[in-house]
Amino acid sequence: MSPIEADLLVIGGGATGAGVAWDASLRGYRTVLVDRSDLADGTSGRFHGLLHSGGRYVVKDPRAATECIKENLILRQVAAATIEDTGGLFVSTPADDLSYGDEFLQGCADTGVPVEEIATDEVLRREPRVNPAIRRAFAVPDGSIDAWKLLNALASGITEHGGRVLTYHKVIALHRDGDAVTGATLRDTRTDEEMEVTAAFTINASGAWAGQISAMAGIEGVTIVPGRGIMIAMNHRLVNTVVNRCTMPADGDILVPIRTVSVIGTTDVEADDPDDLTVAQAEVDQMLDAGDQLVPGFRNARALRVWAGVRPLFRDARAQGSDRDISRAHTLLDHRERDGVQRFITITGGKLTTFRLMAQEAVDAMCLALGEDRPCRTREQPLPGSESGEYYTVGTRLRARESDGSDPLVCECEMIPRTRLEAAMRDKGTVNLDDIRRALRLGMGPCQGGFCTYRATGILHEVGHLDGATADAALLGFLQERWKGTWPILHGDQLRQSRLDDWIYQGLLDVEHLPDWTAA
Amino acid sequence: MKPDVVVVGGGMSGLAAGVGLAEAGASVLVLAKGAGSLQLAPGTIDLLGYAGERVDHPLRAIAALAERDPGHPYALLGADVVADAARWLCSRVADGPLAPYRYVGSPEDNMLLPTAIGVPRPSALVPETMGAGDLRQGGRMLVVGFRGMKDFHPALIADNLTRATGGAMEVRATQIDPPALDGEPGTMRLARALGRPGVAEALATRLATVGRDDEVLALPAVLSIGDPHGVWETLQRGAGRPVCEIPTLPPSVPGLRLFDTLRTLLRRAGGRLVTGSHVVGFKGSGDHIEALRVHVSGGERIYATRWVVLATGGVSSGGLTLDADWRMRETALGLDVAGVPAPRQARFSPRYLDDHPLGRAGVAADGDLRPLDARGQRRWENVLVVGGALGGAEPWREKSGEGIALASGHRAAQLILGAEGSVSDSAATKVAQPIA
Repeated sequence: MSPIEADLLVIGGGATGAGVAWDASLRGYRTVLVDRSDLADGTSGRFHGLLHSGGRYVVKDPRAATECIKENLILRQVAAATIEDTGGLFVSTPADDLSYGDEFLQGCADTGVPVEEIATDEVLRREPRVNPAIRRAFAVPDGSIDAWKLLNALASGITEHGGRVLTYHKVIALHRDGDAVTGATLRDTRTDEEMEVTAAFTINASGAWAGQISAMAGIEGVTIVPGRGIMIAMNHRLVNTVVNRCTMPADGDILVPIRTVSVIGTTDVEADDPDDLTVAQAEVDQMLDAGDQLVPGFRNARALRVWAGVRPLFRDARAQGSDRDISRAHTLLDHRERDGVQRFITITGGKLTTFRLMAQEAVDAMCLALGEDRPCRTREQPLPGSESGEYYTVGTRLRARESDGSDPLVCECEMIPRTRLEAAMRDKGTVNLDDIRRALRLGMGPCQGGFCTYRATGILHEVGHLDGATADAALLGFLQERWKGTWPILHGDQLRQSRLDDWIYQGLLDVEHLPDWTAA
Repeated sequence: MKPDVVVVGGGMSGLAAGVGLAEAGASVLVLAKGAGSLQLAPGTIDLLGYAGERVDHPLRAIAALAERDPGHPYALLGADVVADAARWLCSRVADGPLAPYRYVGSPEDNMLLPTAIGVPRPSALVPETMGAGDLRQGGRMLVVGFRGMKDFHPALIADNLTRATGGAMEVRATQIDPPALDGEPGTMRLARALGRPGVAEALATRLATVGRDDEVLALPAVLSIGDPHGVWETLQRGAGRPVCEIPTLPPSVPGLRLFDTLRTLLRRAGGRLVTGSHVVGFKGSGDHIEALRVHVSGGERIYATRWVVLATGGVSSGGLTLDADWRMRETALGLDVAGVPAPRQARFSPRYLDDHPLGRAGVAADGDLRPLDARGQRRWENVLVVGGALGGAEPWREKSGEGIALASGHRAAQLILGAEGSVSDSAATKVAQPIA
């Protein structure tokens, strides 16, 4: 295969990398974005879905707070379709120090985060499930943001502007010519084919994996501490506003309503390996108990799914900085200054809310290195799908459904019609139903794929002209993927649902005796 | 009126017990929370499909299993009870409202029927409308789907069946337009349409034009709810070839037929079925339960009874539940549940298709189906536990769920009739009636 030539190679298909590729494409650079897996399969797709107002950081990390509120306001303009304008509350539960409220108000004033103290009975009127014993409450402009929708919009934008997005392409070598990075060898993880990319510049946006990538360029000491946290999605929107505990950042301090669920987060455990996404029983219990502080009865509510994500926390082995600097702010490493390696930048750390700013800073640094003056346009240019500036609302799919009820639903939970599913399968050209999940939320509802896994497999087999073995692998892979996030929290009604799914797949369909499932 | 027996649960086990008791002259009340689990089941009676390896001869394998695994429900029942129950069910369906619709097969041998994803699945007794799908016969099959039906994918079924039989069978697929319907071609809508005059005839004409003369035609299991025999015969006649049904995702049409059959037999025999009811408490004295407190129609009623048959099913049916503190309960009578991993111990395996530590949890019972408490002592003398609430089995993995439900329900009826000498004489003749 002939090598791909590009102005810019971006490594990492999370929000940061896709943001970098979008920014660079808008500035006219021919850009290639690569990821070893699907877009948003790393940290970006494994967070709680919060669009930060900055309120969380006003006391602990004022710089991060100011960045958040600025970016929050920009994203509301350029990525509106991926955002639900839920608003946010900071509430003092009986377990929280009341005096933090004053610090919080002062912090908001200092950092520019709009805030309004509201009466607790007004909070309970708006959010009847919130702990009635709360003593103070503050409203801030938090929201929720759908990372998969965001990444899909970014990918569309990149390709519309002449860039390429190569998912399932793992970087297996970075090339150097003298002191400059000149490209990479990629391996298609689905076909094992290798491919060369030559690029005038390379930006490492691989998040928690940034140390592994920069080591391929011969750069040492980029130490990313994977801070693993778990999140649990509850089956209902227990709240319709983001509810934070008004306290210093702590485990289980936030409940985010997103799409049809609400997500509680999170824990923070230092992991050795960013690919270790273990969910510990103790953490599950801790989250369920923490939820009870915000919403009494939370522990016995129906939990749908649990997952872990890793925060990329940068600790520079070269600088003796304080731990404060490994907090939530992001880090741009210009390896020319730091390591004498040209044409290579690492951007890591940060939060999804600030991905656009991180991308801008990275591409600005590239322009500087190349001696070019091409201004950033991502502050003004709406992402594909967000041109109208209308926010996503929880009724969006229902509205679409009601306007065209003739298209049969394949996934009733998430209201995915057959034509939409077929189009996504054709567009993505994938044999992996988890890719379809990230595109359309297939199997993310209460039955966790109970009905749609079978249907989608049949349709994929037909649309993709697959052989039986490939279709079976898609089905078994998706069942396993769904199981991965349910078994650690299974109890109550969700266990009952899961056993019904077993009834279908093991009892009725007998998938464990598919011709060669052991090979799948 | 004080019923002799209150059966809690309207699935296979509860209805088997209820029909058996009512036909023997007992006064029977069946309390069901919903439509019962039969509508979820494929409508086949799977006695034992897998015991490690695939089972070809279920009765023999059940006898061996009972020896090997004393905690298994089949060890409480024994192979003879299973055989007796299987014959009983066949006779009741043959006498039922859908006759001459009947079940075929034998508890001695498993057939291999195609599932809706194309796996040859072992079943002992199956509706006559599925019998021609028995893959042991080899030969050729054409899987016929209806365009737009999301719960049936003929090409995938055909691909997998061809591979599963190692190429011994040639299985092809085709799609035809569904009968005219008011809406999308779903399982229930198709089944209702095929029950209407002229629709089966039109389909039969269409089927005559597909495939080759030597192919069995396999359709989704939608050959009507109320007249499966007639529709099936019409299609076979019109197509000039054997036709078989393949069970689809819930709701299951063959399962509904079985539910309708058993419900009708229960009512014919004077039994009552109260749906929308669930047990919220009971009054017990010593080792007897005297009455059940039942939520029904928005109010509460007390049912005094001599016997209780607990047929509430396992976790999927709501008969067992695991709470957020990882404790498991039996939901109607608060019986102890055996086989539950301790808190902080693994309940499930990270791999979906592995055995799961919680998988066999359920109520422990003795050979008379009386529930045992955590110390292994009989808890109630007049409560019999049947079906999915019993621990010790993995019904879906073993393909034993209907068999355990049927045999334990049938056995519970026999035990109660045996204890109540007055009705047991008339019952014995009916129960022991051989079938053709």
